[in-house]
Amino acid sequence: MSAVSVKRSTLIGFLGPSIFALLAIGIVPLLYAVWTSLHYFNLTKLKNVEFIGIENYATVLTDSVFWQAMGRTFTLLGIALPIQIALGLGIALLLHQPGLSFLKTLTRLSLVLPMATTYAVVGLLGQVMFNIKYGVINQLLGFVGIEPVNWIGDPTNAFALIIFWDIWQWTPFVALVLLAGLTTVPAEIEEAAKLETKRWYTVLRYVQLPFLIPGLTAVLILRTADTLKLFDMVFTLTRGGPGASTELISLMIQRVGFRAFDQGLASAQAIILLIITIILSQLYIRLLYKEVG
Amino acid sequence: MKLSASLHSVAAAAAIWCLGTTTASAWTLEEAAKPYAGTTVDVVFLLRPGYEAAEAMLPEFENATGIKVNIIKHPYENALGEQVRDFVAGGDLDIALIDLVWIGNFAENDWIEPISKFTSNPDLADPELDIDDFFPLVLNAFGGWNDEVYGLPFDNYSGLLFYNECMLKDAGFDGPPETWSDLKDKYGPALTKDGKYAYALQSKRNETQSADSFARVLWPFGGSFLDENFKSNLMSAESQAGLKFRQDLMQYMPEGIVSYDHAEAVNALAQGDIALLTEWSAFYSTLKSPDTSQIVDCLKIAPEPTGPAGRKPALGGFSMAVAKQADDKEQAAAWLFIQWVTSKANAMEYLERGGVPARQSVYQEPGVAEKYDFVPALVESWQDGVPEFRPRFAEWPEITEIVQEWGTKIMLGEVSTEEGAQELGSRMEAVLEKAGYYDGKKPLAQ
Repeated sequence: MSAVSVKRSTLIGFLGPSIFALLAIGIVPLLYAVWTSLHYFNLTKLKNVEFIGIENYATVLTDSVFWQAMGRTFTLLGIALPIQIALGLGIALLLHQPGLSFLKTLTRLSLVLPMATTYAVVGLLGQVMFNIKYGVINQLLGFVGIEPVNWIGDPTNAFALIIFWDIWQWTPFVALVLLAGLTTVPAEIEEAAKLETKRWYTVLRYVQLPFLIPGLTAVLILRTADTLKLFDMVFTLTRGGPGASTELISLMIQRVGFRAFDQGLASAQAIILLIITIILSQLYIRLLYKEVG
Repeated sequence: MKLSASLHSVAAAAAIWCLGTTTASAWTLEEAAKPYAGTTVDVVFLLRPGYEAAEAMLPEFENATGIKVNIIKHPYENALGEQVRDFVAGGDLDIALIDLVWIGNFAENDWIEPISKFTSNPDLADPELDIDDFFPLVLNAFGGWNDEVYGLPFDNYSGLLFYNECMLKDAGFDGPPETWSDLKDKYGPALTKDGKYAYALQSKRNETQSADSFARVLWPFGGSFLDENFKSNLMSAESQAGLKFRQDLMQYMPEGIVSYDHAEAVNALAQGDIALLTEWSAFYSTLKSPDTSQIVDCLKIAPEPTGPAGRKPALGGFSMAVAKQADDKEQAAAWLFIQWVTSKANAMEYLERGGVPARQSVYQEPGVAEKYDFVPALVESWQDGVPEFRPRFAEWPEITEIVQEWGTKIMLGEVSTEEGAQELGSRMEAVLEKAGYYDGKKPLAQ
């Protein structure tokens, strides 16, 4: 079968706008960030802009504060993501059971709510709900005789709090993606498997899981990228504190770039973060798709 | 011929003198603003009482001049970033709102005009401007840099000791603590009980940590950020004494004090949860209003306690300066607004609406000290203040980030006061070295 020839003007007409948009909002700013990262570029000292090669990168890579922030970000990812997947899978499996269709529809709708809530609003809600003195959470704990907990002012509790909010907001997303994956399992295969074994785990492992892998890969890539650039919720909830206990990498980049105005250093941090994100995404795709094969 | 020439000279001089006198006596805001009617002036305001007061006064200015003042509101934490981006991009702002620690930055970057450009123009300069009426410390610290005045003080603060007299009386005290050590050793134990705390030191990790918490314990104990050579002074015995004092004092503060910003601290006093609070004078109206405070009848105000080095209260506040990027008409209109809102004539109204003017004359008016009971403490504090309470050079935005991080770590006990001060000092010196203070490229001005 011969390929249909398409006129060049048609190709440009269809692809041009999206290529232009990608260039304007993606590639050009990225190239500018690379250029900035190779310069001493402080917004309040623009008279002193100079090319400094990889000095900003060397500063970032040898800065313990940067790696501590990176460590906190990956700790958040390492704790929140498995919990989101476990809970999301559980919810998806429950919703995949036959019967109670009205309740399931209602549940599916309510699952959208946390995702639809703006990140910054989640942080502000947290400030109010987890306030040590006036927060509703401590009030509820008080009803069962538990002393008020210092949620936001204690470093460990504050970190636990951002993990909690991240799980609250994004478990429904994982659940809905996995539920979509479960609906792609052919009904006859699933029924046959259930006749063969009563163990739900066996059905999950050998029948349903292969169909969940594409969704799971998407979840891993999206949630990893989202967590690495998580900013709004933490900024409005703790602003990275107390101390540096909730200063994730994105907050650190914002602090360096927009509060200390060192755009060169902040750009170098952002480029390194981008490289790490790309490497992780590639790893997910290679490892998981290999398993499917 | 000679006589004729002399007569001509005398006549000309007389005419100029008459003209000058007429111009001076006839100067009115309405006349001065006529060429600029219809001009819009863009300015950043904060979400604080002093700005609400000015906003309420604004219609009077707009009606008199035809100049439109476009207010862009930001919380304090965003105000610097928003303005820096605007000035770097050659944006729309016609007036710079300058925290005293930003003045070096704005002046060195040439973003603002010195006021002499306008005070030397008789068409724009109000003969009643009376620059000497501003508290000298406030004018110098908020609006001055390198012997040049750029901004007029607008939203003016000094640290004051607000206290709940009823709680103090119940605990057997006749008045507030005179010294920081009294606060810790006498008032602390007596007032910290039954879920109430003696004192709160707002210490959230933002400018509050640097200005209201860290610097507040350095100066009264004889410490400072920098020594005379611009090297860190944080390891000195005096600075360490101040920082250790803060650690000891924390036992009498509410749990989680490192997450307290102004709102939380003021609210704690307003709700009767703490007895003493060192806070900016600007929050007087919040604590005195029955809508926002439950301790209106018990509220009293004193100057901040003294330390071994004296009172050295917290000093903060904002000036407004004309932006260089504005065109001539906008600059003139901006100056007229700044001059009007900070004027002697408007100081009383500004005060009555909840602002804190920096005009000495208004506080000498009969009845003011009685009606606004923060006035005597404020006036006293502005005699004892330190302009470099926080260094005002262009590097402060970078340094304050370091102070915020390590200051909070010290409070949380993650590092000792020595470890924290050592780390903070070396990072601070690295910023100053890069800026050129140690190789003579920049004068040691703060």
